[in-house]
Amino acid sequence: MIKLLVRRSTSWLILIVVATNVTYLLANLFLDPRSNYRETRPIPSEKQIDDSLAAYGLDPRVPLIERWWSWLRDIVLHFDWGRSPNGGSVNAEMAYRTLVSAQLVLIATVLCVIVGVGLGVVSAIHQYGVIDRVLQAVSILLYNVPTVVMALLLVFGAIRINESVGHTLFLVAGSQSPQVSGLLPTIVDRLAHLLLPTVSLTLLGYVGYHLTQRSLLLDTINADFVRTARATGLPYGKAIRRHALRAALIPTATSVAFSIPGVFTGAIITESIFGWHGMGEYFSLTLAKNDVNGVVAVAAFGALMTAIGAILADIATAFLDPRVRLA
Amino acid sequence: MSVTTASILRIESVHAEPERLGRTRLYVRRFMRNRAAFAGLLIFALFVLISLFGGFLSPYNYATPDFLALTQPPSAAHLFGTTSGGNDVLAQVIHGMQRSLTIAICVSLATVILSAVIGAGAAYLRGTVEKVSLGLIHFLLVVPSFLILALIANSVAGDWRVLIVVLSAFGWVGAARVIWSVSTTLREREYVVMAELMGVGRWRIIVRHLIPNLASLLIVNATLGVVGTVLTETSLSFLGFGIKVPDVSLGVLLQEGSSSLTTAPWIFFFPAAVLVLLTVSVTLIGDGLRDAFDPTSAARGRR
Repeated sequence: MIKLLVRRSTSWLILIVVATNVTYLLANLFLDPRSNYRETRPIPSEKQIDDSLAAYGLDPRVPLIERWWSWLRDIVLHFDWGRSPNGGSVNAEMAYRTLVSAQLVLIATVLCVIVGVGLGVVSAIHQYGVIDRVLQAVSILLYNVPTVVMALLLVFGAIRINESVGHTLFLVAGSQSPQVSGLLPTIVDRLAHLLLPTVSLTLLGYVGYHLTQRSLLLDTINADFVRTARATGLPYGKAIRRHALRAALIPTATSVAFSIPGVFTGAIITESIFGWHGMGEYFSLTLAKNDVNGVVAVAAFGALMTAIGAILADIATAFLDPRVRLA
Repeated sequence: MSVTTASILRIESVHAEPERLGRTRLYVRRFMRNRAAFAGLLIFALFVLISLFGGFLSPYNYATPDFLALTQPPSAAHLFGTTSGGNDVLAQVIHGMQRSLTIAICVSLATVILSAVIGAGAAYLRGTVEKVSLGLIHFLLVVPSFLILALIANSVAGDWRVLIVVLSAFGWVGAARVIWSVSTTLREREYVVMAELMGVGRWRIIVRHLIPNLASLLIVNATLGVVGTVLTETSLSFLGFGIKVPDVSLGVLLQEGSSSLTTAPWIFFFPAAVLVLLTVSVTLIGDGLRDAFDPTSAARGRR
């Protein structure tokens, strides 16, 4: 088990390193930090631009391979992810933003799995019943709602409700209020801000788990081993929980890892709509400002989230599947 | 499971010419009997017609502002209202839908072809080719492809033709993995071994024996691809990295609507409704096709 985890973690680490370096190459090919300076007045000469970029390791006159080497060395030796074209430290931005986004992505992922698997079980037990049909219709509709539309609909609805109630019931902007002190008020304030973005991501993300869990459970619910369990006198609920669901959860657990990039993409849009200063906003800002090092840091963060999800999925699979545990 | 059974049925149809027509007709009949799928097909056909000939529906051009009507709510003159710049929302929605549909259909076709060739090719050729392809697929599934998409799309300054190429280059990955795993069972089939013994070339086996037996999966993938592309394109354009003003897609319209959500909700609601109807209709078509191809649904479909 430990051996399996170590092996998997190593291969994920290699993937993250490769992904980050490929992004570094692409970012250098497609982004031109010099264009930031051309917008300033008075327009600096090309030499002045290159000189000021040189201080941040972005000098286009230096061959790409040398820039890449010093960038890589700084990360490995000092965990320094470099600087933006106007000198801001990428580390400082990341430190704050990763926490903001990580809570959104991870809470939404966990909620998606719980809601999706739960509804999948309900759907499968009541196959072709009224509940099943209603749940499926809702899921198919939600599957087709773009993140942008869902988030904006929630904002629109929240503002309308706030107006009709007369005071701010739902918060639609930012991840926290500026002047809140004390532990309990801070937690309450954070949760209030988390509510709508999380609901938005969960409503869109649970659908996949619902529909796949339903069909997976339908496959196992009629399997021989479940019938045998029932024949030995096990109650229906217990037979489903202990035998059918356990077997049907294994493919779901592995699919969690591959769903995280999607949740991350959703978080980018959700953050930009709800005005969160997280990785999503940083993603848009760095791309728009030709911030090569910032873009790469975002990519590394995204890959790391996927890796964490995948390793958690491996642990869950090992927990559920004795064949993996013993291997 | 269902796919392999479906392929057995398809094999018979490939070898027995006269029966083939009957099977196609059976699929069509099963599809048409599915009311939701039929409704989806009608809505989708309507959208295609509107985006082809919709210019006649609105007397205004999507890019020409009417300075006498800024931020007007829906009225007889402007059925869907106008934007803050005085553009007719109906004309913009029609043009945006045309853009989004063109991109989605082209990308979907390209990704189906790419995923079929790479997925089936990897499974059949085995060895190094399979290892390298799978490595590439897993790598692309892990990298934040949306970020790389945005990176490349942003630098080509909103040209929709380039956007098609970029979206296709990243869109085939998930489907290719599924096709690969189905193909690993197909490659062991007797008819494939038979063809090998008869000296049929490798690529000929892939194109003539593997891919036709994946047809139902590929057609369903094509519909899923249309939905996925529309959603990705909307997100990219919303964030400002896809289609860019003055060109208009549904994502650009949503961006415009989001800034005046409470003061001029019609700018958001019309494109949003069109977008959701479009993706729902395509999904219904996809579900109908899947049921029509599914041999276990014969009891429900044939009467």
